[in-house]
Amino acid sequence: MNRYFFLFMIVISTFFSCKEEEVDFSLNNCKRNPVFIQSMGFNPAKSYLSTSEERTMGLVLIEAEQPGNPQSRKVKIVQHPSWRKGGWLAPILLDEKGNIFTAPAPFITVYNNPIANNNTIYKVDNTTGEMSEFLKLPFADSINPENPFGIIGMAYLCETHTLYVSTVAGSRRYEERGNIYAISTESGGIIDKLAGTDALGLGISYITGSRELYFGLARNSDIMSVKLNSKGKFSGDAKKAFSLAGIGPRGDDKVRKIRSDQNGNLVIHGMEFNFNLIAPREKQETLYNFIYNNDENKWEPRK
Amino acid sequence: MGNKIIERTKIMSIVFSVFSVFAVVFLSCKDGKKPVSSLQGDKSVLESILSSADSLITFPFVEQRVKKIKEALQLPKPVLLYPDSASAKQRLAEMIALNDSSFTQFLFDPFTKMPFRNEVFGIHQARESDMAGIPGPHNLAECFRVEMYNYALNNTSVAIVDAGAQKVLNRFYLSDTQPDPPYSLVDLANEIAMASPEVEKALGFKPTKEKLLAQYYKTSLNRTRCERSRHLCVAPTFLLGEKTLWAIVDLTDHRLVGVRWITSGKTGPAAPILTERKLQDDKISACFCEQETALIKDGWDMKYMLTSSDGLRISNVMFNGKPVLRNAKLVDWHVNYSGTDGFGYSDAVGCPFFSQAAVIAWDPPLILDLKDDANKTIGFVLEQSYRSEGWPTPCSYNYKQRYEFYKDGRFRVAGGSLGRGCSNTATYRPVFRIAFAGDGNNFFEWGNTTWNQWMTEKWQLQNSSTPYSPEGFQYKIASAAGGYYLEPGKGQFNDGGRGDFSYVYVSRHDGKRDEGESDLVTIGPCCNTDYHQGPEKFIEPVAESIQNSSLVVWYVAQLRNDDKAGSEYCWAENKLENGVWNTKVYPCFAGPMFIPVTK
Repeated sequence: MNRYFFLFMIVISTFFSCKEEEVDFSLNNCKRNPVFIQSMGFNPAKSYLSTSEERTMGLVLIEAEQPGNPQSRKVKIVQHPSWRKGGWLAPILLDEKGNIFTAPAPFITVYNNPIANNNTIYKVDNTTGEMSEFLKLPFADSINPENPFGIIGMAYLCETHTLYVSTVAGSRRYEERGNIYAISTESGGIIDKLAGTDALGLGISYITGSRELYFGLARNSDIMSVKLNSKGKFSGDAKKAFSLAGIGPRGDDKVRKIRSDQNGNLVIHGMEFNFNLIAPREKQETLYNFIYNNDENKWEPRK
Repeated sequence: MGNKIIERTKIMSIVFSVFSVFAVVFLSCKDGKKPVSSLQGDKSVLESILSSADSLITFPFVEQRVKKIKEALQLPKPVLLYPDSASAKQRLAEMIALNDSSFTQFLFDPFTKMPFRNEVFGIHQARESDMAGIPGPHNLAECFRVEMYNYALNNTSVAIVDAGAQKVLNRFYLSDTQPDPPYSLVDLANEIAMASPEVEKALGFKPTKEKLLAQYYKTSLNRTRCERSRHLCVAPTFLLGEKTLWAIVDLTDHRLVGVRWITSGKTGPAAPILTERKLQDDKISACFCEQETALIKDGWDMKYMLTSSDGLRISNVMFNGKPVLRNAKLVDWHVNYSGTDGFGYSDAVGCPFFSQAAVIAWDPPLILDLKDDANKTIGFVLEQSYRSEGWPTPCSYNYKQRYEFYKDGRFRVAGGSLGRGCSNTATYRPVFRIAFAGDGNNFFEWGNTTWNQWMTEKWQLQNSSTPYSPEGFQYKIASAAGGYYLEPGKGQFNDGGRGDFSYVYVSRHDGKRDEGESDLVTIGPCCNTDYHQGPEKFIEPVAESIQNSSLVVWYVAQLRNDDKAGSEYCWAENKLENGVWNTKVYPCFAGPMFIPVTK
């Protein structure tokens, strides 16, 4: 029973429940708990994975008295020896087998995150917990020191077992060289690419009546969408869905992450991003809720 | 020689003057150079002007305002009342609100009990929407919404007052929110803008009210345009043909932040979100990150530019036509907290956009006059500031990088921390890289009686037993043309420094390989307490010969912070002054002086 209540914390305190052996395509919810959680002696109901422990580089598994409360006492923390090999990490994504996909992201410094490694997707095996390189995405050209970032966002389409990954690797101030890749988790190969787009957070929703991948642009506050076909490939051109420009406490937030709620509406995690490594002590992140207005066929901020 | 030492020591007692801040800040960076990028092609960015805090001009009308503020802060209820004309009922509503202990709970700092600057910005007729959740019925004509702004906390207190019933019906607080300022403050912002020389310079004439576009006074929604200082800022704009000049005015400090042209077109101005941060970051990027700037002054000739992660880099440095340095820069700041094993950060400093900087350039580089005790100009300083957003809140940082150039040929490569960091157990280790010109250099250390040559690459720690020459020098970089002595910081430079306790490394430069000549990624971890600060990787495992070579001197100072009252060091504190927070800094500077070898 515990498995049904297993909660995962991604980054700091974002939770979503994971169903097992039941794939709800319309909600794109097929995530399953990794088997190794229990085999490591952790209580799935009170445990979560994190890549944002302030003093611990890499991925960690934490059991807390009150998961979801950042102030809660941590009962147990474990780190598999392989979970540090990517340096500081950022996204965490589960598939329907309980495998975990993650990628490096520099934290304050590139000392532990060589730029050459920032386009690498790692996979944590759902049974052994071993983290290994899943796929090294191609770099646009030689590494440039202007831009310390590579992979930023990830999303997963249950129907087609497709992993979507945004990367800004190789982009320069006046050269947008980022890509969004569609990757088959079964074959490990790239099946499609949206080229020349610097995107950050990714999310999937069916609320408009079709499968759509939403992504926040890295260079302004717009959220774009692109249709996905039944094979998980991009279909047609990306178009602007809505924007964070002029709203929120800063007015120029970029999208760190996109989640869809149980109705398909979008929860946007917005923060400052200027392709540098500043790290405000107070995490300046704002949640924006957008709902889809079926009558007018447009996204609106929830009031 | 003895007289020379005395004379030099006197000159070392320098004071830094902000006398001629003008050079970099107020000049456009276009210089006829060929644009290399789209931002370079954006004339509005290149010609934007950032006002330096050091050039703050106090206008007579501002002095009157400051007097009113000081008087208000002495009152039992330290509040500037609504400054515009108001009806008797509005004034009654204001009085009722100010007698509500909940509405006025932010009048004083809870710790020091000192007053914050608060001002009533509006007493508006209440609307139906203001009465939501308030049990009725009420006579709306008798009800008012009173808005009070707290300048120190940058928050807004709101009271819904029934003047007829003489009671507060509701009150609430909005953090990081500013109500629309009253007309008299808008007028004050206009006066500041029109009286500021930067606006006149940008327009090319003394502006008048007729050129002002009144509809653009308002702040962008509820946010301030000064998101960095979190001050109350508005943006008076001036229309000139199809162009609009935006001036950001800080009404907390009563000063101009900067100006920038925006092309508005024939249909009227668009509404760009021009803010303090955007104005500063764009200007710094366009003028100093994307192109080099030439500097010729006092016999010195060089170029400088901001790097992605190595701070302000100077290059091709010559004195009286003779090459001195190939380049110099500040590679890293390593910050180690001794209270916790292995905890700290490796901060790179550099450009605000597309960089590896963790602490970004905050202002354009400044060129300041360097003066001795007699106020005589003896050279100049090239200085760059870097800051975290929110400084000096805990775990935020503020660094300064400083190059001093003297008319007599001496120069100093220095840097300092202005705190505040995460705790009082920090040791800051700035890593300087100084590449000397020429390929026939030799390196010597003072050995009590004579200069002893280093034959191969090596490192050494400056400590309590380090011998210095009678002049106070530790090393000598000699060449056929002369060379330079290196005098490390021992607390003698009158800049607040208490000694550098430096690691010095010497490596051989080979043009066929890159050992830090181009922008370096972070080369060392935060928290090593020994010589493993990064430069050792260029001298190990095999130490190369450094005789008659092109040499690079790496200088890593060690500065332990202190927050004890009276001995603060590498530290900063916010203090309430005139009802708003001002930052008191206790910098710790470090870095070596280089003195020409005279034959």
